[in-house]
Amino acid sequence: MAKEPAMKLIDLKKDIGKKQIIKGLTFEINPGEVFGFLGPNGAGKTTTIRMMVGLMKISEGDVLIKGSSIKSDYKNAIQHVGAIVENPEMYPFMSGWKNLLHYARMMPGITEERIKEVVSLVGLEKAIHEKAGRYSLGMRQRLGIAQALLHRPSVLILDEPTNGLDPHGIREIRQYIRTLAEKENVAVIVSSHLLSEIEMMCDRIGIIKNGELVAIETVKALTKTEEDRIHIEAVPLDRANELLRQTLQLEPTMEGENIKLTAKREEIPSIVKCLVEGQVDVFGVQVQRSTLEDKFLDVIGENAIE
Amino acid sequence: MSNFFRLVFNEQVKLYARKSTWIMFGILAAIILGVAIFGKTVGNFDEDQYGDDWRQQLEQENAEIAEGSSEEEVANHWGIEENNYYLDNDIKPLEYDAWQFVVDNAMLSSLLSLFTIIVAAGIIAHEFRWGTVKLLLIRPVARTKILFAKYTSVLLFALTSLVFLLVFSWITGAIFFGINGANPLLVIQSQNDYTQIAAWAEMGRSYGLRLVNLVMMATFAFMISSIFRNSGLAIGFAIFLMMAGNSIIGFFMEYDWAKYILFANTNLEQYYRGTPLIEGMSLSFSIGVLIVYYIIFMVLSWLFFTKRDVAGH
Ligand SMILES: Nc1ncnc2c1ncn2[C@@H]1O[C@H](COP(=O)(O)OP(=O)(O)O)[C@@H](O)[C@H]1O
Ligand SMILES: [Mg+2]
Repeated sequence: MAKEPAMKLIDLKKDIGKKQIIKGLTFEINPGEVFGFLGPNGAGKTTTIRMMVGLMKISEGDVLIKGSSIKSDYKNAIQHVGAIVENPEMYPFMSGWKNLLHYARMMPGITEERIKEVVSLVGLEKAIHEKAGRYSLGMRQRLGIAQALLHRPSVLILDEPTNGLDPHGIREIRQYIRTLAEKENVAVIVSSHLLSEIEMMCDRIGIIKNGELVAIETVKALTKTEEDRIHIEAVPLDRANELLRQTLQLEPTMEGENIKLTAKREEIPSIVKCLVEGQVDVFGVQVQRSTLEDKFLDVIGENAIE
Repeated sequence: MSNFFRLVFNEQVKLYARKSTWIMFGILAAIILGVAIFGKTVGNFDEDQYGDDWRQQLEQENAEIAEGSSEEEVANHWGIEENNYYLDNDIKPLEYDAWQFVVDNAMLSSLLSLFTIIVAAGIIAHEFRWGTVKLLLIRPVARTKILFAKYTSVLLFALTSLVFLLVFSWITGAIFFGINGANPLLVIQSQNDYTQIAAWAEMGRSYGLRLVNLVMMATFAFMISSIFRNSGLAIGFAIFLMMAGNSIIGFFMEYDWAKYILFANTNLEQYYRGTPLIEGMSLSFSIGVLIVYYIIFMVLSWLFFTKRDVAGH
């Protein structure tokens, strides 16, 4: 039996007024996968998420959560979802604990033990009885994640969870997102407008621009199979050039004191070996990774990033 | 239905977690105490003390009023009419007491209306203002159910504050003015005449009738809150209409359709004391009109709450 996707978007569209904000998104997220939903501000991430959780009506297409349509089978679909949409806003006049109790009462079968469990998972034990209005943004993000996890959802949707967090906070979030995906088989959707903040926690990244999905990339594949740009400083250059062309069938170019070429990472040792054995002195090898960031910038254009 | 009960419970928790709710009860208590203190000192609520010679006392009061008034004035003077009622029916006037105080405080139910309007106006709009509506509505609970839990919570607040008003008034009245038994017979004015009515019955009647107005205005504020998602607007609108209600009717009085205006019908007292506001109106007519308005308010609240997108601003 084929594995059922945790969430499936089918040609999802949203019109507001005469404008089409979301222009036909189709993709799937599998159980245990962390999916990065990446795009510049105003690309339509939050709008898409609002449709995923039924806050906004779907103009066209559908969202299936574990096979149930959020449009026609709302309760069955939404019971598998935990989410933060935009900022994690809580009742400021109640303690974090009372906020969690409030949401727990809206879902069946959540025990006090479970609430304590999620509180300790997000590391809020100390502040949980303080008023949520006094929480920092980072603490509210954690409380937001806690309320999303109460009912052990199969799909966790976090809209810009790294917003307002320092690098330490981002690392922590990354850790429990990875744990949830790997240990509890949760499908996690994390949106962001900054690739660097989510790159390391995602298995796959979908890039959205102006309401359209412009690329979906597997993170590991990208960093493994992509060819790297390699700069080699060697003397004499002519001989190095000749050796690389003849023995390794590479196509280097010469630039000043350097030879430039593109090759896979695994090939670097054999390149160096070939040069050294051919009586060429190697003074330095520099590897420039072609990162997702470049790809992201290529796709959306640098100006779009603030 | 325990599910629905838990939603209502949630709403009550949120309501009473806020200081402003307690301030409302504080204001109510302060006003009741204020009225009692005023009554005891300056107002002389319990000034009339009738002994065994109460008939003579009443006659003398009448004579005092009649002195220096024309014959016509005397015939229509309410004090004389009231005293004559006691004399004609051989009822000894009761001293002012807790029951009378509770009945008199029925006018404070307009304050309850005000508070209930404030609560009704906020109960939906605040969720939008705080942004918590997004977390509230992504649960395996139909929006309709959440809406009715909120509405039920508003009514529950109205009921709670009504009970508070009654009980606190009674206790305050008992302390300041004493108690004339468990259910004394009070003399009240009705239809240009006086009648005797049991305290409990009179309380039920006067508070009950005012509740009609309270529920209608609260439902109206609830509707505005659902449509515009803005509590200030809902409070402003509802209070303005509550205050301006009578002027609005006065303004349109000459038209046939004036009797279909909500405010011409919210005051059901008009059928107990005096004549209807506009000719051709009856109790059943007013009840019919109120039901139609009520259904419109509820349907609009429901439509806007359940059908509209929860979009960013
Ligand atoms: N309620 C709305 N009415 C009209 N346009 C909207 C509304 N909400 C969002 N938009 C527009 O939709 C686009 C996508 O917004 P959003 O989904 O918030 O982007 P993101 O979350 O990726 O930053 C933006 O251009 C925004 O102006
Ligand atoms: Mg957004």
